[in-house]
Amino acid sequence: MGCEGMLSRGIALAGLSLCLAGVIPAAQPDAVFDAMQAELQRSMTLTLNQLDKPYYLSYSVDDEHSWSATATLGGLISSNTNDYRIPRLRIRVGDYKFDNTNWTGANAAGPRYNLQSFPIEDSNPLVLRQYLWLATDSAFKGSLQSIARKRAALRNVTVSEELPDFAPAPPYVAIRDYQPVKIDENLWNDRTRRVSAVFESFPGIRSSAVQFSAIDALHRFISNEGTKIRKQESMATVEIEASAQSADGMIVRDMGLFYTRDMTRLFSEDELLKSARAVGEQVLKIAAAPLGDNYTGPVLFEGVAGPQLMAEVLGRNLHISRKPVGAPGATTQAAATELEGRRGVRIMPEIFDVKDDPTQPLFGEEEFDDEGIPDKPVSLVEKGVLKDFLRTRQPVRGYDNSNGRARLAGSYGADTPAPTNLLISAHETTSIADLKKKLIDLIQQRGLPYGMIVRKMDFPSSAGIDEARKILAAGSAGGSGRAVSMPLYVYRLYPDGREELVRGERFKGINARSLKDILAAGDDKVTFNYLDNGAPFALLGYGSGAAEVTVVGQSLLIDDLEMSKIDDEMPKLPIVPAPSLLSQTASVK
Amino acid sequence: MLSSNIVKILDVTAFLAVSALFTSSPAFGQSGKPAINSRSGNDGSDTSHVVLDTMAQELQRNFDGLKSKADPPPYFLSYEITDQVGHSVSATLGVLNLSGDSHNRYLDTTVRVGDPKLDNFRRVRGERIQFTSGRSVPIDDSPAGIRQDLWLETDRVYRAAAERLIKIKTNQQVKTADRDASADFSSEESFAHWEPSATIAFDSNRWTNSVRELSGDFLKYPDLLSSDVSASFQSDTRYFANTEGSRVQHGRDFARIIVTASAKAKDGMAVSDFESFEAADPKDLPSNDVIRAAVKKVGENVEALTVAKTAEPFVGPAILSGRASGVFFHEIFGHRIEGHRQKDEAEGQTFTKSVGEKILPDFLSVTFDPTIKRIAGVDLNGWYEYDDEGVRGMPVKAVENGVLRSFLMSRSPIEGFDHSNGHGRRQPGLEVVSRQSNLIVSSTKSVSDAQLRQMLIDEIKKQNKPYGLYFADITSGVTTTQRSGVQAFQVVPVIVYRVYADGRPDELIRGADIVGTPLASFAKIVATSDKQEVFNGYCGAESGSVPVSAVSPAILISEIEIEKKDAAQDLLPLLPSPLSAQLNTPRSVGVN
Repeated sequence: MGCEGMLSRGIALAGLSLCLAGVIPAAQPDAVFDAMQAELQRSMTLTLNQLDKPYYLSYSVDDEHSWSATATLGGLISSNTNDYRIPRLRIRVGDYKFDNTNWTGANAAGPRYNLQSFPIEDSNPLVLRQYLWLATDSAFKGSLQSIARKRAALRNVTVSEELPDFAPAPPYVAIRDYQPVKIDENLWNDRTRRVSAVFESFPGIRSSAVQFSAIDALHRFISNEGTKIRKQESMATVEIEASAQSADGMIVRDMGLFYTRDMTRLFSEDELLKSARAVGEQVLKIAAAPLGDNYTGPVLFEGVAGPQLMAEVLGRNLHISRKPVGAPGATTQAAATELEGRRGVRIMPEIFDVKDDPTQPLFGEEEFDDEGIPDKPVSLVEKGVLKDFLRTRQPVRGYDNSNGRARLAGSYGADTPAPTNLLISAHETTSIADLKKKLIDLIQQRGLPYGMIVRKMDFPSSAGIDEARKILAAGSAGGSGRAVSMPLYVYRLYPDGREELVRGERFKGINARSLKDILAAGDDKVTFNYLDNGAPFALLGYGSGAAEVTVVGQSLLIDDLEMSKIDDEMPKLPIVPAPSLLSQTASVK
Repeated sequence: MLSSNIVKILDVTAFLAVSALFTSSPAFGQSGKPAINSRSGNDGSDTSHVVLDTMAQELQRNFDGLKSKADPPPYFLSYEITDQVGHSVSATLGVLNLSGDSHNRYLDTTVRVGDPKLDNFRRVRGERIQFTSGRSVPIDDSPAGIRQDLWLETDRVYRAAAERLIKIKTNQQVKTADRDASADFSSEESFAHWEPSATIAFDSNRWTNSVRELSGDFLKYPDLLSSDVSASFQSDTRYFANTEGSRVQHGRDFARIIVTASAKAKDGMAVSDFESFEAADPKDLPSNDVIRAAVKKVGENVEALTVAKTAEPFVGPAILSGRASGVFFHEIFGHRIEGHRQKDEAEGQTFTKSVGEKILPDFLSVTFDPTIKRIAGVDLNGWYEYDDEGVRGMPVKAVENGVLRSFLMSRSPIEGFDHSNGHGRRQPGLEVVSRQSNLIVSSTKSVSDAQLRQMLIDEIKKQNKPYGLYFADITSGVTTTQRSGVQAFQVVPVIVYRVYADGRPDELIRGADIVGTPLASFAKIVATSDKQEVFNGYCGAESGSVPVSAVSPAILISEIEIEKKDAAQDLLPLLPSPLSAQLNTPRSVGVN
């Protein structure tokens, strides 16, 4: 499959570089693959006392090379380079109809064999197999326990609907070339330092950090069904964060996030410096802004705020979650998604079509998912009507096949679907200036003193875990399901066209039903990239795994939204004033 | 019950010693005076004073600010920054499975409000005291970032400290007086000491090749299920400043080789063994031949354990090897004389009222001495110059000729012991409590190993027992800190032999757990050997993992009780090892 195949099906942007020297071609023997194959074959013969036999087994071994650097105020906090391999295995005993998963006691532990790190060298493939042998033995014994307990539990509970446990899928083979990535560690350490030093000229900032990270992974996957995949997965990110404290104690944040999968063209220092300065200025402006007030009425999500909102309110509700079998009285974390059961129902105004298209050469591009299933374009919403869901191999009500969206780790032996490139198009659009006019018209009709414009949401969020808990609690207090992120940039728009930045607002009660209240779509086209990790607000540093997602959308004017001002207790201002940041005793190297 | 154990850590966390290149100047006492001009030592041309200077400045600025504006005001403030540089490489069966470097700095902040008699560190039964967070601070000597972190942490810790003091005072009024009326904070002299930051030399190629090659020897033992040879190197530099004027910068290096293997016996019982080598200077690590011998020993031991008889319940005489005895003393004696336990009502307080009383046989003495670097040709893990409260480590004669004399003291006084003896220790991110250093058991009733063994045989005959026991190694466990962040704790069975009186060879057994009242066992120590052995390890307790040593001669105990370990339920692996095919073929094993 040479470079051509790569360009057409792999990461197109990164693909360009793969034709350069140093490529490890797909045809080259791969000792890890051979070891996986050999041990997989042998493991399918596992049997114990006439108990259930394995019917599905998959291995993945990812070679990962990672680089990271974090700095504050010109000083490096950490710098790490790591090479390691991550082995994963999935074993299912029983059959597609009934197996050890989809129940609260899935993943029972088998015997422990003191397995340490997976070997990072291939000189003796038998050592690789030794690891897989023991890991499989332990997982097999654990899965036998799981299925036995599941059967026992089912004697005491009845399930409302009997669904098979796993969807059969045809095999898929894709072996791609590998072009190892080189990152100049010193350059990135220095660049991270320099970008972080921008905040030295913003003395009102309470704390700040810049983090660079890059990962180059060679992903390998095989299953007993004949699927065999080898593909490079690389990515780099920069996070620029700053926080400040208002006079009333409120801590406000802002950040700049950069993502790329094109390892040949990482971020330029200029764009990072520019972003850091913008974050610094904006966070101080927010800290100095007046506290917002309670508001109910139309809200304009301008620019990136539009796709940000759609990522959270639409993107995260485009699948059906399955309730696992539970022991009587056991509680599960599986909450129903907001669009469940609404197939064929209008969920948005007729002007909207929504597609998830993994083939577009955007950040969310994907050839196949974590279960080795090719991603196909899916038409999700047509003329406002919900047509389909994002699915994995876990059968859910109404569906028993995957469309290749197993992109995040899930619970009870299954994966969680996530979008790839979520493309939101509107047939009728309005210019931004007219959207503002419309907003002013509406507030005047209703006698409101001002309308609201949101220009950035806190998604993904850099909130700390305590703050996130508060937002979650405040959101669910409204009785409207899950909370959405805080708006970061919030402006009052007065009838005379004047804008005023305010802070400390939260949305109350935005959910998938709010999509019906979209009044108009902007004529802009905004591309928003982020890493979904499944955590609330895609909280940075939390969640399970990471799926690259692009949302292409537009500004949105939405009616009848409720915003409330934060009434949390505020931390006090520090007793001792901040130190003067300019160094007194020595300069940074 | 103490939950702490001597543990062995595969991953480097908190390490040790280089020789102090600079001696400390006499203490200078004025509270709060910055030490910038009064430090001893040679600052050369590097910028290594930046961290300590920045700390000293921010310490004073925050202390002054809080004293004038905060209510209640603090009376004491200290910062400790721990800089850790680590290198590690590990291999299994001839191939690398881990290779990495790390560099981190952690900040620990102490704020005391109230007064030394009653402050926010007052121990309240069952309550965990935790103010510091071990926040990560810049590893660059960059004052701006460090200063901002110091400022934010001081404010956060001050608020938590003030809140706890108010709670304690309220609580105090409704409770009866504590039995131990001692104060909460001792007064100590301040210290000024500066030495360059520690920098261990790590020969990456040499150790990568060595662990690869040496771990390949484990291929000779087909019954092993896992095995590993690793090399971990670490440099620690500690920067300490307090408002009493102490300014200390000191450090040490540590290099360690660990050889481990594990397997399962036919009945599913997990068996394992390990050997380790420690040195402050990598040059003093053993040659590959010596490590290879350890690999052989571990491999043979584990294979022998898989087919060894299981232990039967037993009461009778036993010898503990010097290393086993060191751990025995560390666990059942050392932890019980840690000072803070004497005033915590939730503790057993075995020895609280025993000062001046006989608690061991006359011929035994126990010292804790952090100032000793090397014994019996082995570098000691528990060596340090200053503890984590900036107090110089001092030798503590805990037991003299069987009589309890002293406790291990941090700056938390107890009745009759008003001062620290330099044993306030912690892992970064946790609050200091009194901990062990180098535990050294010495004896005036010592005989040669051969004589000790003869005494055991005589004792077996006298007691009319079928056999006695020889504990070659007691180690409570192995803690593996994997890169992924998953920490596994694994109990390592004792390497134990039955010793027969009739001249039969010693017989390895597995699954022997020592039970009974350990203190009663002390009274039954009959004699010791004349050769000290060193056990280096890491001890885990409230204040985290700290490096320690235990040094002891072998001891003969007239009566010890063991019970059978619970039967394991694990089945052996169902399929044969993929390695078995290779092992059965004549061609040589593919390890380079």
